[in-house]
Amino acid sequence: MTYGMLIDLSKCMGCRGCQVACKQWNDLPGEETSLGTDFTNPQKRSAYTWTTIDFLTAEVNGRTVATFTKSGCMHCLEPACESVCIAGAIKRQENGAVTIDHDKCIGCRYCQLGCPFGVPKYEYDKPVPRMQKCTLCYDRISEGLEPACAATCPSGAILFGEREELLALAKQRIAEGNGRYVDHVYGEHEAGGTAVMYISSVPLDLTTLNTGVTTESVPGFTWKAMRQLPALVGGAAVLSLGLMAYSNRRARLEAEQKGGGEA
Amino acid sequence: MTNHWNDYQNTDVFMVLGTNPAENHPISMRWIDKARETRGAKLIVVDPKFNRTAAKADLYVQIRPGTDIAFLGGLMNYAMTHGRYFHEYVAKYTNASYLIHPDFKFEDGLFSGAQVGEDGQVKYDTTTWQYQRDEEGNVRKDPTLTHPQCVFQLMKKHYARYTPEMVAETCGMSVEEFIEVAELFTSTGRPDKAGNIMYAMGITQSSHGSQNVRAVAMLQLLLGNIGIPGGGVNAHRGESNVQGSTDMAMLWNNLPGYLPMPSAAAHPTLEAYQATTPKSGYWSNRRKFMVSLLKAWWGENATAENDFAYDYLPKLDHRDHSHMSIFEAMGRGELKGLFAWGQNFAVGGPNVTRERSALANLDWLVVVDLFETETAAFWKGPGMNPEEIQTEVFLLPAAASYEKCGTVTNSGRWIQWRDKAVEPMGDAHDDLWIADRLYKKLRELYATEGGAFPDPILKLHWDYDDGDHPSAEKVAFEINGYTWDDRVGLTTFGNLQDDGSTACGCWIYSGYFDNFETPKCRSRVKDEPGTLGTHLGWAWAWPVNRRILYNRCSVDEHGQPWDPERPLFRWDGEKFIAQDVPDFVATNPPEVSAQNPFIMMQEGVGALWSPSGMKDGPIPEHYEPVESPVTNRLNKRQFNPVTIISGKGEFGQLTRAEDPNFPYICTTYRVTEHWQSGAMTRSLPWLGEMMPDMFVEISPSLAAKLGVQPGDRVEVTTVRGSLVAPAMVTPRMRPVRVHGREVEIVGMPWHWGFMGQFTGASANVLTPHVGDANTQIPEYKAFLCNVKKAGGSGPVRG
Repeated sequence: MTYGMLIDLSKCMGCRGCQVACKQWNDLPGEETSLGTDFTNPQKRSAYTWTTIDFLTAEVNGRTVATFTKSGCMHCLEPACESVCIAGAIKRQENGAVTIDHDKCIGCRYCQLGCPFGVPKYEYDKPVPRMQKCTLCYDRISEGLEPACAATCPSGAILFGEREELLALAKQRIAEGNGRYVDHVYGEHEAGGTAVMYISSVPLDLTTLNTGVTTESVPGFTWKAMRQLPALVGGAAVLSLGLMAYSNRRARLEAEQKGGGEA
Repeated sequence: MTNHWNDYQNTDVFMVLGTNPAENHPISMRWIDKARETRGAKLIVVDPKFNRTAAKADLYVQIRPGTDIAFLGGLMNYAMTHGRYFHEYVAKYTNASYLIHPDFKFEDGLFSGAQVGEDGQVKYDTTTWQYQRDEEGNVRKDPTLTHPQCVFQLMKKHYARYTPEMVAETCGMSVEEFIEVAELFTSTGRPDKAGNIMYAMGITQSSHGSQNVRAVAMLQLLLGNIGIPGGGVNAHRGESNVQGSTDMAMLWNNLPGYLPMPSAAAHPTLEAYQATTPKSGYWSNRRKFMVSLLKAWWGENATAENDFAYDYLPKLDHRDHSHMSIFEAMGRGELKGLFAWGQNFAVGGPNVTRERSALANLDWLVVVDLFETETAAFWKGPGMNPEEIQTEVFLLPAAASYEKCGTVTNSGRWIQWRDKAVEPMGDAHDDLWIADRLYKKLRELYATEGGAFPDPILKLHWDYDDGDHPSAEKVAFEINGYTWDDRVGLTTFGNLQDDGSTACGCWIYSGYFDNFETPKCRSRVKDEPGTLGTHLGWAWAWPVNRRILYNRCSVDEHGQPWDPERPLFRWDGEKFIAQDVPDFVATNPPEVSAQNPFIMMQEGVGALWSPSGMKDGPIPEHYEPVESPVTNRLNKRQFNPVTIISGKGEFGQLTRAEDPNFPYICTTYRVTEHWQSGAMTRSLPWLGEMMPDMFVEISPSLAAKLGVQPGDRVEVTTVRGSLVAPAMVTPRMRPVRVHGREVEIVGMPWHWGFMGQFTGASANVLTPHVGDANTQIPEYKAFLCNVKKAGGSGPVRG
């Protein structure tokens, strides 16, 4: 079964409860920020900010338009990040969540390069950095709970459930919406299909969704592209293997320490 | 509010006026959206700024700050002249048919009875605002609504001046926009449609704020939108429990349950107070509420012989004791000490630099709060010299909402019990513990040292002990009311007596707790889907668990629902089938209850006309804000003539109309990420990272004129002070066209101050110390400023 989320942008009012709930559940620190040109803040996602509401305010045909777009991992059905992860740390779980095993992650950043949505982020400030991103609240959904963002959303803009059911709901809303929605379920085909999908009442180019993304399955052509860069791939691989060795050793030591404590 | 949050699902047309639900009451959008999805409801947003609610609206219209009466009067005019009001409802359920004194007049911006003082200040003698009565004292009426002196015709004449063109010129919208709103909203002026007007501080924080609310209520009465599912005059209360605190007499001139506070001079005895009790309507029972309140407070010491300890009750002197008056008195050195209990007026008060200075005149200041607020630290604020300030400040750490138990009353009057989730941190204690300790210490001091009048303290009935902590349940039981002799909880205020046999701390809450085993406010039973969503088993709503006030108005004279699809009640020939607690005697035939559908009103009908309730007129008239960029074109008075203008002293700084030094309209507001003065939210990293810095929102056209790029620092100045903050240049702000002239609007949030983790300038250094004629709520929403490029860019912290 593949779980997913349907984000109905027509219902999102930019309250950012999801952004706080994500930080709270995942114990992520507040970042040092300052005022931007609009309300989006932190202005970019990072290893410590896995989802943001992106504000876009514009004048269209003499009228003001403001949109709020929830950003974050799309949890692709065929994740490019998983396919390029040389440490085997990224895995699409049976329930649809794409997760990173931090005992294996070596911080090589292939996933960041490979992801068509630029999702995985690097812990720049850590001595041994790893990659971080939304887990679809794998820990929560494994226990029958909704992801934290969906659970907190006051307007019902973020729905969690089985992807097929959400897709059907999205199509039903579009069909029965009397023109309220743009006839497009973003994520049905994008990047070969994603577990997180969107519907919108404004044209998608007025949101911050990546409308240029391919509808082809990404792992295939990611590898095609990466093959063209043997030197980069080779060099990075050597470095990465070293890091992998270090990471494994550290994991082993941590496990031993933990075991000792328990005994 | 007259209705409640869940009831929004029953609305056909929403008008958001002076509130910002998506931003400040996000949960409401769930119900608004449900109505849009299931009923095809429409959302109108009328606001000076394109806010987050506007982003979701079907129709957004910009309005100049402070011109709501021009707009609402225009809508009333439109409804009356185009026959888009609900005639049967207006004729039967309001005082539209009542005849008014033949000498009533409105001339040159003044209603008849104006007594103009030397300073230009007006006080009204309301004789000519009264109803005409026959020899037996009955009001003369014209059910056809055609008599020139009936309320309906007087209103029609009064608002005839509010043409679409005048509204458009005054409010800064186009005629087409006004007509679009008017067509859409007055489409609810018929039996099978429900229109809902939501408001908040955008309406109330005005020198004519009370009349703004009256205008909202009158429009809703004209359209037959009061007392019906999906309708209502719905105040979005600005804090989670501010409804509860208002019910409990937060206002200086109220006792709990909106009993008027007695005056020492006019009501020296209970009998004198009783003489002011209305003779008709439900308020005629007021003596029962008052005696039961005195019994709750002074217990066995309140007896029939001593007028139930009425002498112990503090009474009003001749002065106003609202916020601004207190600070003006403090500025004159008339106050020795002050408790700031969960209030941060050193950020939230108007003309805040002067208010901070006034605090320095205190001998002592007690602040009860979660953090060291700007109020607690006023002595180290900008421009303050700690060496010269002798005020002794005590900071008592308070428990946060999840660290204490008790009830929270929401905007829809639902009272819900909340258990304590976690223990308070460190030395923090809940408010009840602090109040209990404080009282016991005061009692001890009065007992040992005496005092001018120790009995009111020594003889208080204070029986809340439960081990080493006072019991919130015992307090709740007292508020609920009980029989004095056998301590049985009351189920309704209908059981209150005026002989000392019942005690009740707040009559409108009678029944909300009921008993210790199964308190009603703990009940959590939902209605089945497919109903109107009154959820009578979920929590308890005052009064008597009624969810929609004045709900007799939801059915016609014969008890049939105006809209069969929304049957809150239906008379089946013998009894009412009900989805709500009736606001009428449901055992009577409907033709009887139809005579007084508004049982709280003396006349039993909705008051389109207010003969004596308001200080500044029986019906609202447009006046400009005290600081306005234009002269008033609707009448010869520039601003509300009853508004009190200090005019002198440091709080009296005001800018006259059309002052070229202050050419822009300034307005203040809140954002989702911060709460009020920011005392709580500006120390939370997750909220602070989203909204870290104070900012000033200006339109792209003003930015171009000033040569300001996004993020450049600007200096905003009023006659009272100035602040520097980065500019947010955004199409959310636009200039308005007023009487042929384009005027820019400058907006800013008021959450910041100099304490906490996220600091910045306080918007209230700019705001005027002037307020509403009836309530003295400050005019935070409309004043005049200038803006200049300040040099540099980026946040200004500290």
